[in-house]
Amino acid sequence: MALEKPCIVLLLIIGRVAAGVQSDQQDAPLSAADARKLKNPVPYTKKSIAQGRGNFARYCTGCHGQDGKATVDVVADATDLTDPSVWRNGTTDGEIFRSIRDGAGASMPAFKSQIRQEEDLWHLVNYIHSLWPESKRPPLQEK
Amino acid sequence: MNDKTKFDKNIPSRRNFLAPIGAGAAAAAMVKHGKLFAATASIPSIRIPKEVAGTLGEEPKAGSFDGKGMSGAEVFAKLCKEEDLAALFCCPGNYTVINAIAAAGVPSYGGRTEGAMCAAADGFSRVTGEVTACSGTEGPGFTHMIMNIASAHAARTPLLVLASNMQIAGDDREAFIQTGYQQPITTGMKKYGKRLTAPNRVWEYGAYAFRNLKSGVPGPVHLDFPGEVARARFTDSSKLTDFYDKSKYRSDSRPHPSRKEVEKAMDLINRAERPIFVAGQGVFQRKAWDALKEAAEKHEFAVVTSGPIRGHFPDDHRLSASLSPDALMSADLVVFVGQYCMPSPGEYRFNPDVKVIRVHPVAEDLGRNWPLELGIVGDEKVFLEMVATDLPRKKRDAWVNELAAARQASEKTNLDHYELGLKHSRATNHIHPAVMAKEVHDFLYRGDIDPRQTVTGSGGWTSGLFAGRWLRAFRAGQGVVCAYQYGAIGPDLAMMIGAGAAVQRGVGPQAPYKGAPVFVVSSDAGIAYSLFELDTAAKYKIPVVAVIYNNNSWGMWPSAVGSARSMHMYLFQENLRYDKMAEGLGARGEYVQTPEELREALKRSYQAATKESASTLINVQALKEFTSGKDYPPGIALPPEPGVGAFAH
Repeated sequence: MALEKPCIVLLLIIGRVAAGVQSDQQDAPLSAADARKLKNPVPYTKKSIAQGRGNFARYCTGCHGQDGKATVDVVADATDLTDPSVWRNGTTDGEIFRSIRDGAGASMPAFKSQIRQEEDLWHLVNYIHSLWPESKRPPLQEK
Repeated sequence: MNDKTKFDKNIPSRRNFLAPIGAGAAAAAMVKHGKLFAATASIPSIRIPKEVAGTLGEEPKAGSFDGKGMSGAEVFAKLCKEEDLAALFCCPGNYTVINAIAAAGVPSYGGRTEGAMCAAADGFSRVTGEVTACSGTEGPGFTHMIMNIASAHAARTPLLVLASNMQIAGDDREAFIQTGYQQPITTGMKKYGKRLTAPNRVWEYGAYAFRNLKSGVPGPVHLDFPGEVARARFTDSSKLTDFYDKSKYRSDSRPHPSRKEVEKAMDLINRAERPIFVAGQGVFQRKAWDALKEAAEKHEFAVVTSGPIRGHFPDDHRLSASLSPDALMSADLVVFVGQYCMPSPGEYRFNPDVKVIRVHPVAEDLGRNWPLELGIVGDEKVFLEMVATDLPRKKRDAWVNELAAARQASEKTNLDHYELGLKHSRATNHIHPAVMAKEVHDFLYRGDIDPRQTVTGSGGWTSGLFAGRWLRAFRAGQGVVCAYQYGAIGPDLAMMIGAGAAVQRGVGPQAPYKGAPVFVVSSDAGIAYSLFELDTAAKYKIPVVAVIYNNNSWGMWPSAVGSARSMHMYLFQENLRYDKMAEGLGARGEYVQTPEELREALKRSYQAATKESASTLINVQALKEFTSGKDYPPGIALPPEPGVGAFAH
């Protein structure tokens, strides 16, 4: 896993997550600062987006809708995933990863106990990027 | 009188209201028959009037064409009785009709609000599949029922909605009070409706109602009775149009699927590696659970139930996918049977491109929302009996193992959430919803009670989301999904009182468990809509244990976060004593803050329910912040559909 600015704390965090070790320490929520430093280890590819779509269908559509626009008002104030300009908890890969993994705001649940593989969380991050306006999406890295 | 009662009784403050209840509760002692609270020197006891037992014990007295003849209401009541109307729930109003139905011998219940009585009728029907009725007075009583008529419509409940409606002579004149046109108001939430305007056609339209209630896909039927119809007199049946026996005005014939279509379906099922049946409400309505089980066990296909009632395939069966959400995406063939409220691809956790067969009693709905590989018009029971007979015996070890692994994973997730909740409960001295749900689960299914016995229902937002994951259904008619499809917050308690009435009478699938208590898990927001029906439960000795998650707020309070001047709209006073209010209504009250207290309260409440037919409200004190996944993980999440906890379809 590549690091933009290696530091001991970050290494520990990523090491724990990457190892998939089940412990209270590993389950500890990431701080916003640590999340911002995280780099997505899964390339933004069509394959990854497709894999993320599966988990999106399983876990996310109830609140965010099938199109990610969260127009179903029945569920509390879910974020419009197609418009990152209105997001409140950050739009970097690591911040999205954190929001999914640890929960965000007062109503976004923590999915770490349901999406147990870290890689699946990153696929979901990539899928969410694919919902953004084309001009804001990362470039596709085909492999 | 203690200090608490020293106040100006002319000021109707909340404090004035609660204080005497507190004083009464302090001296409360449950006794059998009538006196629910012992009196203090100055406060009389809560007691059930002797007329309740007295009039309930009277012999039926149906109308007769002899002598003064029958009223229009009595003619209609005679038809209801002959059609085996299972129960009537009402508030006074529409007097001629409700009195005639009660006198004819239909089990009848009077409660505190028309809306709650409508939900109770819905609940009775949901756990039995039988036709039930609700009634209210014209205007206010009728319009109070609207939310729960809409819920019954979404749940496809065979509910007969009755209401008086002034006089035809008063139409368009705003004569006296309560004038209103009812039929337009129920547009979009009924299967059939009619304002009766010709007195001599009252039997004909009664027949019309039951033809709709007992055929095809059920749904509410709304009849409104002007005075001229209800009070008309008939001394001769020849004056009534179409005065036939039910064998002549409707048929119990059902659509049989064609042999060719069933063979095509069986070929697809046989060739699939991981077939799954979605057993909808139609399987319950048609009492087809034995045929379903026989077919599933013979051919080893998976089954997941859907609809407003659960248990027509047991959650603990090795072929049940109700607790195996992660396996749903693997299914390569989905067979919807009796899925009355049809989801769209993506709303169920199946591969959106999966092959689908749908079996449905009416052709018009086939192909709606979900594209089909094969659509079959047919009765659910007939279809399942055909496949149970003709599908080859087969072993699908890989599929069965996948279901088991997925079940294990989802149970582990539930337990993980419980452990987190327990940690939060210990840290805050308030009960996390995961802990509440698990404690109820353990009490009902892991203790001394037969796990198949207790009928449960759940509602509320946070409470419903957690309870739904932990409540189980092991036999037909055991689990009510109170919020099904329409998503009403609040009818839960009333709905379960209706279900309790069905269990009390041992109707249909409830017969083996006649008299057992029912349980409902709901919320502080929800209980406001039907709390007063604890009086009704007490009056009729219907034992209900209501576990009320009290987080001091509407569950949607996070919607106000970050919005100026908004949060106050989502909050209640904190630490409200719903348990004391229950005591004031003649039920028991318990207030708990720890898992241990909840465990003991459940035991006491169950004992009071079984030994005294007493209902209890357990006030489970929580914090609204438990909703936040960031501060108190896991937070709340919608359950996967279909399966345990599902409520949308």
